[in-house]
Amino acid sequence: MARNKFDIDENLESPFDIRHFGRAMVYIKKQKKPMIIAFLLSALSAAIALSAPLIMQHVVDVTIPSKAVGALFGWSALMLATIVVSVYLATIRSRIMTRVGQDIIFDIRTDLFKHLQELPFKYYDDRPQGKILIRVVNYVNSVSDVLSNGIINFILEMLNLVFIAAFMFAVDVKLSFVILAGLPVFLGIMLLIKNKQRRAWQAVSNKSSNLNAYLQESISGIRVTQIFSREQHNEGIFTRLATNFRTEWMRALRYNALIPFSVDNLATIVSALLYLVGLLALSPQDITFGVILAMSSYAFRFWQPILNLSNLYNSFINAVAYLERIFETLDEPVTVSDVPDAKELPPVQGRVTFDNVTFGYDPGINVLENLNFDIKPGESIALVGPTGAGKTTVVNLISRFYNLTGGKILIDDQDISQVTLKSLRGQMGIMLQDSFIFSGTILDNIRYGRLDATEEEIIAAAKTVCADEFIQEFENGYLTEVNERGSKLSQGQRQLISFARTLLADPKILILDEATSSIDAKTERLLQQGLNELLKGRTSFIIAHRLSTVRNCDRIMYVSDKGIAESGSHDELMAKRGLYYRLYSAQKMEVV
Amino acid sequence: MIANPYIGQQIVDTFISGDNAIQNLTDKRGLLIALCLAMIGFTLLRTGLAYVTTMQYERASQNMLYDVRIYLYNKIQGQDMHYYDHNRTGDLMTKMTGDLDMVRHSLSWIIKTIIESLTIFLVAVIYFFSIDVQLTLWLLILSPAIFVVAFLFAKKVRPMYVDLRERLSQLNTTTQENIAGNRVVKAFAREDYEVEKFTEKNINYSQANKKAALVWLDYFPYLETFAQAFGVTLLFVGGLFVMNGRITFGEFAAFSSLVWAISNPMRNIGIIINDFQRFFASLSKIIEIYYAKPDIVNEHKLTENRRYEGRIQFDHVSFKYDGVQVLHDVSFTINPGETIAIMGSTGSGKTTLINLIPRFYDVSEGSVRVDGKDVRKLELDELRGNIGIATQDVLLFSDTIDGNIAFGNPDLSEEDTVHNARLAAAHDFILKMPDGYDTIVGERGVGLSGGQKQRIALARALAVHRPILILDDTTSAVDLETEEHIQNSLRELDYSCTKIIIAQRVSTTAQADRILILDNGRLVEEGSHKELLAKRGYYYDVFMLQNEGIGRQVTGNGTE
Repeated sequence: MARNKFDIDENLESPFDIRHFGRAMVYIKKQKKPMIIAFLLSALSAAIALSAPLIMQHVVDVTIPSKAVGALFGWSALMLATIVVSVYLATIRSRIMTRVGQDIIFDIRTDLFKHLQELPFKYYDDRPQGKILIRVVNYVNSVSDVLSNGIINFILEMLNLVFIAAFMFAVDVKLSFVILAGLPVFLGIMLLIKNKQRRAWQAVSNKSSNLNAYLQESISGIRVTQIFSREQHNEGIFTRLATNFRTEWMRALRYNALIPFSVDNLATIVSALLYLVGLLALSPQDITFGVILAMSSYAFRFWQPILNLSNLYNSFINAVAYLERIFETLDEPVTVSDVPDAKELPPVQGRVTFDNVTFGYDPGINVLENLNFDIKPGESIALVGPTGAGKTTVVNLISRFYNLTGGKILIDDQDISQVTLKSLRGQMGIMLQDSFIFSGTILDNIRYGRLDATEEEIIAAAKTVCADEFIQEFENGYLTEVNERGSKLSQGQRQLISFARTLLADPKILILDEATSSIDAKTERLLQQGLNELLKGRTSFIIAHRLSTVRNCDRIMYVSDKGIAESGSHDELMAKRGLYYRLYSAQKMEVV
Repeated sequence: MIANPYIGQQIVDTFISGDNAIQNLTDKRGLLIALCLAMIGFTLLRTGLAYVTTMQYERASQNMLYDVRIYLYNKIQGQDMHYYDHNRTGDLMTKMTGDLDMVRHSLSWIIKTIIESLTIFLVAVIYFFSIDVQLTLWLLILSPAIFVVAFLFAKKVRPMYVDLRERLSQLNTTTQENIAGNRVVKAFAREDYEVEKFTEKNINYSQANKKAALVWLDYFPYLETFAQAFGVTLLFVGGLFVMNGRITFGEFAAFSSLVWAISNPMRNIGIIINDFQRFFASLSKIIEIYYAKPDIVNEHKLTENRRYEGRIQFDHVSFKYDGVQVLHDVSFTINPGETIAIMGSTGSGKTTLINLIPRFYDVSEGSVRVDGKDVRKLELDELRGNIGIATQDVLLFSDTIDGNIAFGNPDLSEEDTVHNARLAAAHDFILKMPDGYDTIVGERGVGLSGGQKQRIALARALAVHRPILILDDTTSAVDLETEEHIQNSLRELDYSCTKIIIAQRVSTTAQADRILILDNGRLVEEGSHKELLAKRGYYYDVFMLQNEGIGRQVTGNGTE
């Protein structure tokens, strides 16, 4: 699928599929016991509530005419008692169902989140963050009631329907068919609008997803928007998205409102037919007036549950639009995962071997071809070369962020595709180009590298990367609250913090991808002195453009043209006067 | 609603149970058919009306949602950087989605219910009074009790809903950061930890939901019992009244058939109050945005876009942020067309310094002047409309590359887009992408290398042709050859422009007319490359560090 952006709908060509509910059953099944209890309670409570009209009738017919005050008091007390009991039972049912509903969406949300953790970079790269977020939070919330109360009420109403139908048929078969005649018409109407209604709700979920995506981007990109004074233009886009949402919502609602409308009218038409057929078509011998009276009251009672069912149907069809998105995400294949019999990678010595590695992000377009190299434990490697040549790709492959198109990567002679991801990545320290800072304290952000690190260890790591000094300058020091995009930290400071985070992990293999690009030369020099000590005994890969950063590395590899063009120490490569030499001669100044 | 039972009554009376039923059945077939048709007609009318009203309520609430949403969006867009430093994305998202929807739901549903309930209740009460005052009063005796319970409930549940939405916000924030930081999560193999963190928020939210619902269920039985007890009161008191002849059977039947018109609205009170509390919890969060006043207000009152000359003066500027003194008494002047480089250690205040020019923040002391005028006195749109910035933290949008370059000028022609991409040395790699300029890049430019992102951001800044161009370490991830190309482009821009370039590399700064060195928020050195080298200060040290190993020597008058 092509990459998605905020104003592109995510198409999902699937017809209304009851299997979505089938899948949801997995979650519902876990709540089988409480749901059955709740169901029984509801049935009981409804049955008890039915006695109130009977009492009323009896009092009117018998008690009042006989002026029995004592009996009146007794019946009133009994009626109150039935109310108290039925309300009490209904309350217990609601208590149970509140828990059930919350537990079901808790489970769905947890599964969704866990699955998201396993999805590869590509999944995140291909769609706006807001579209993922809305699924985990808003969509899951939307299905809670349907999956709990909705299902119980559905069964109750169905039972209700069957009971009434049974009574109906017991009274008169012919007229019962008249009442039932409305049913195929109703089903016909539902069938007729089903697809449109479903498309409409799909569109609603799409438009709200788009709106959300744009909103999220607007918030995270606010600086750029303000720099370019684009607020009014953005307002235009947002207005368009909000308009689309409103239009689709209203369209969906139109279909929804159509359903009770048709049920109501059908019920009346059926009653009218009942009178006509009963009084005109059938001869008085066939049918008594009492039967007609009874049947006309059944007609209304029969259509009431249908009305309730159709309202439930509305909420089901709405929920499917969300459920299918949730399941779509859960079905997203995990392309990078542990092989079935994956082993733990034993403590790493640090030998890294590329054996004929070929890789491309998109099929047919290779970024690297037949790459071969062998790195000894403890060696430090610098990767240089033009932007976009594939330096980041090389280091991403070592951490197995992507699967290879061809060849093998070995760490200590173990194929990395055969070991568990956790044991592999857990022994590597990777510092990425963009240094993400979580909201929380600086201390927590560094601790992310090793969760059980003590405060002393964290401060020591910060000292090594020369971050201690600026952190201490904050009023709250290490406890200063920072966030994702705030400006409390400069870009260089963010890099230093994520650097400390990486070091804290005490990795055997260290990967620094432009780790120091925003750090000034002087700080970098200090940092390097600390690092030299630290790098001993660790294999390290460093991507950098600054000569001062790469020149001390044991080996420098010049990446270009889908492979390694030059490789050797700084002195060797300078003497060679090749690509590396040319690259760094650009630093030659033209000022006289 | 009353017409159909009446017609049904007529049919029954005339054709079924009446004295002349059989007679009528043969004589008045026309009437029977007419009555049946009338029944259908009335239902059509009623349901038609109901349909229209429902859609009207929906439309009204959607329109309200729409208006408020856009208003809030603009409000958020107008907030200054200080606001964004203190508000999490997930929190803002919650306000704009969950809270907003709660308000919509409440307004559409609550208002509809209140109007309906109140009307029915009043009509029923008036009708009842007209029949028998005393019995009506007996019936109403339960109402105060319902109000008391509802009031107690409201007091109890309010803080729970405040808590609930807070937890929703936390859930949103945790999820949002997990998505945004997914690369870091994977790099550290912290999936389990993230799941744990998420589960905690998920449990919290789930529990808060249950808690609030259970409080409702603590009060619900009382409210429901009271509501249903109207029927019992009627049965008992009404029964007594009938017995002692105060009211007739017919009157009793009238009460009995309409008692729901009193008990239903009473039952709704609880539900309304419940929703009201949720509504208030969300509303207070939305109102926060609604009334949030940024310190730096963009009024968008721009009538004509004046083009500045590009003179920039810092006059004894100091800047304090969250209690930390970031800049101390910085003064300098940049003339139109000059190229100024700024260098300094990490956290020395370089980015802060340039942030003061487009007024992302206001100075604490002193003043920043553009073309001789204090920036605080300039129209914000005009000021920012004269400045092009490529930020350090490259923010691209999930849009095509073309759309990203044209971000600051959506009307940019295709040629201009390509031209600016060439200037930023981005054209070549863009052509190599699957769909060229139409390739969609992910949010924050995922899928592009750091250097590629920077070059697109540079093209974006160049494309707006502003008289002041600020490049905040825009070439840090670009290789040196490419950087040289960019340097050349910058020198030969086809419009006059003052350039401020923050850089760490001497190769970048050497080309500038003047170089400013910041240290700990103070301007410590200022001069040309040559002058600063001769000074043997900070700049000289950096120069030496960066040139070690190339075999370059510093001579008295510069390099080599």
